[in-house]
Amino acid sequence: MKFGKRIKEQIQESLPEWRDKFLRYKELKNLISSPAPAESIFVGLLNAEIDKFNAFFVEQEEDFIIHHKELQYRIQRLVEKCGDNEEMFRLEIGEIRKDIVNFHGEMVLLVNYSNINYTGLAKILKKYDKRRGGGIRSPFIQKVLHQPFFKTDLVSRLVREWETTMDAVFPAKVAEEGYERSAAVTSAAAGEGIFRNTVAALLTMREMRRGSSTYSAFSLPPLNLSDSDLVLRSVHLSSPIPIP
Amino acid sequence: MEARPVQRSGSRDLSSNNLARTSSIPSSSTPKPSAAEDVFMRSENNNTQLMSRPLGQTYHLLSSSNGGAVGHICSSSSSSGFSTNLHYSSVVSHEKQQHYTGNSSNAAAAALQTSSNDSSWCHHDSLPGEFLDFPETHAAIQNSSHVEDGGIGAAFDDIQKRSDWHDWADHLITDEDPLLSTNWNDLLLETSSNSDSKDQKSLQIPQPQIVQQQPSPSVELRPVSTTSSNSNNGTGKARMRWTPELHEAFVEAVNSLGGGERATPKGVLKIMKVEGLTIYHVKSHLQKYRTARYRPEPSETGSPEKKLTPLEHITSLDLKGGIGITEALRLQMEVQKQLHEQLEIQRNLQLRIEEQGKYLQMMFEKQNSGLTKGTASTSDSAAKSEQEDKKTAVSKELVAEETRVSEELESPRAKRPKTDN
Repeated sequence: MKFGKRIKEQIQESLPEWRDKFLRYKELKNLISSPAPAESIFVGLLNAEIDKFNAFFVEQEEDFIIHHKELQYRIQRLVEKCGDNEEMFRLEIGEIRKDIVNFHGEMVLLVNYSNINYTGLAKILKKYDKRRGGGIRSPFIQKVLHQPFFKTDLVSRLVREWETTMDAVFPAKVAEEGYERSAAVTSAAAGEGIFRNTVAALLTMREMRRGSSTYSAFSLPPLNLSDSDLVLRSVHLSSPIPIP
Repeated sequence: MEARPVQRSGSRDLSSNNLARTSSIPSSSTPKPSAAEDVFMRSENNNTQLMSRPLGQTYHLLSSSNGGAVGHICSSSSSSGFSTNLHYSSVVSHEKQQHYTGNSSNAAAAALQTSSNDSSWCHHDSLPGEFLDFPETHAAIQNSSHVEDGGIGAAFDDIQKRSDWHDWADHLITDEDPLLSTNWNDLLLETSSNSDSKDQKSLQIPQPQIVQQQPSPSVELRPVSTTSSNSNNGTGKARMRWTPELHEAFVEAVNSLGGGERATPKGVLKIMKVEGLTIYHVKSHLQKYRTARYRPEPSETGSPEKKLTPLEHITSLDLKGGIGITEALRLQMEVQKQLHEQLEIQRNLQLRIEEQGKYLQMMFEKQNSGLTKGTASTSDSAAKSEQEDKKTAVSKELVAEETRVSEELESPRAKRPKTDN
């Protein structure tokens, strides 16, 4: 039930367009508890879910690729336009910076989306096998590993690229607050959604990895989040999400 | 690259087939689908992606030797493979063939109608499932009429179609190998192609070594989606998986044609000269491109919900504003980085757990097959508990490993200067 609750929270905190794209964990779980459906039915339903993931993931990925290039061009054009004019550069870069952070955030959330759905599938399969005493979990999961939605390599690569870019473009702590404020305030609302979702995701992960009652060979070890605990505590001040 | 077809067909054809098939099914007891299943299917009303595609117009791409694609190729023009499908009755196959020959032109017309930006599969009246072995199927056939109503029938369609396609596609693949291999070299991501080609083979092997305790016939657990586009026999609307490199080629082509507004899909397609890329791919991509360029929004999914600042947001914003926008952005970035890092670690662990599990299972299967058949059951359970012990041991190893790995990750982070992002 813990995962069910967590994935529900995740979905609630997620970006609106994403909400119906997640695994329908609760429904599937309920489906199993009543006379568990025949394998063919169940597999069919799971396959349909996977279809959904793949379609959404690939579509988002395509959008990201386009946006990725556009951001690069924007920066490039700005650099060209400003030349040596550092002042001008700093004025305009604020908007781009916020965009980068939000873009980075969305991509991470897509990776999170992939992971949550995979984890949910693994859990559901485990429950099903427990109920039916079958062995569909292992081969099915093997198949899932090759699904497009699970292959997050490209998105992760872009994420890391932008982390590097951020370090490079915004290296020093400069007093930028003045001109950044106007740009940032309007768009902070956009960032809010992503920020909240990210925090929720981190909390979910921590909870899930805390150690379950059904710990087995296929369970994940507890999460090692020492650094981010500090971050999450500081987040408590600025985030409306109740943190346990 | 991902290739996924999006097709539409006249529902009339389907429903007529529907009835025909219903009558051909041997009568037996028809239990009602359980309430839970019903509810599950009905809750799919809003999710158009659950429902299955009409037969004969689903394109999947299967790559066995070429790395990357998982799925099946189907073309409405070639249906000979179906008759060899051992899963289904000859009556059923026959009707399918009828369906195909009548519909190839419809498929083409239908495909053109579908909006290129349609991110969900097109679904229409689903054909009833054709698993004649399952009692539930009969109930489904009787109950399901319209896709949106839910019903188990839709789920059956999916299952049945995928199994169909796989068997049928096996015949097709061997003929088209050279063509497919060229496509994938062009279109696949480097990272995925290598792993794919290795793993594709294992996917096609039926799973005889897995002990199935259910009496059901082996339902092929086939991946649904596809990972490559192909030059479809007919007018396939296959889903494409784009890469930055491919997109760059796209942008170059667009620029050479005078920019986003001026370029036409046809022109771009011609210039790009990428095998397997269809005009539909280009068209939808161009549309996305134009949107991204000429209506630049701070966030990808710029929804109005986020843009408007409700009161609660303002309040929390003040808090965030209090700590400075720069700080807020830096904090946000930091949290995002953390999440990504943890996700990568988690993913790697999950992969390795499965790998180890698979390996161990294989080992034990081998061991079991070596033992005398007579005592198979006892040795199975003994082997299984041994197996579980081993898996637990493996998992503990992984725990230790993860601690080491995260420590490694943590130290570079600490060393990295706290940059003001």
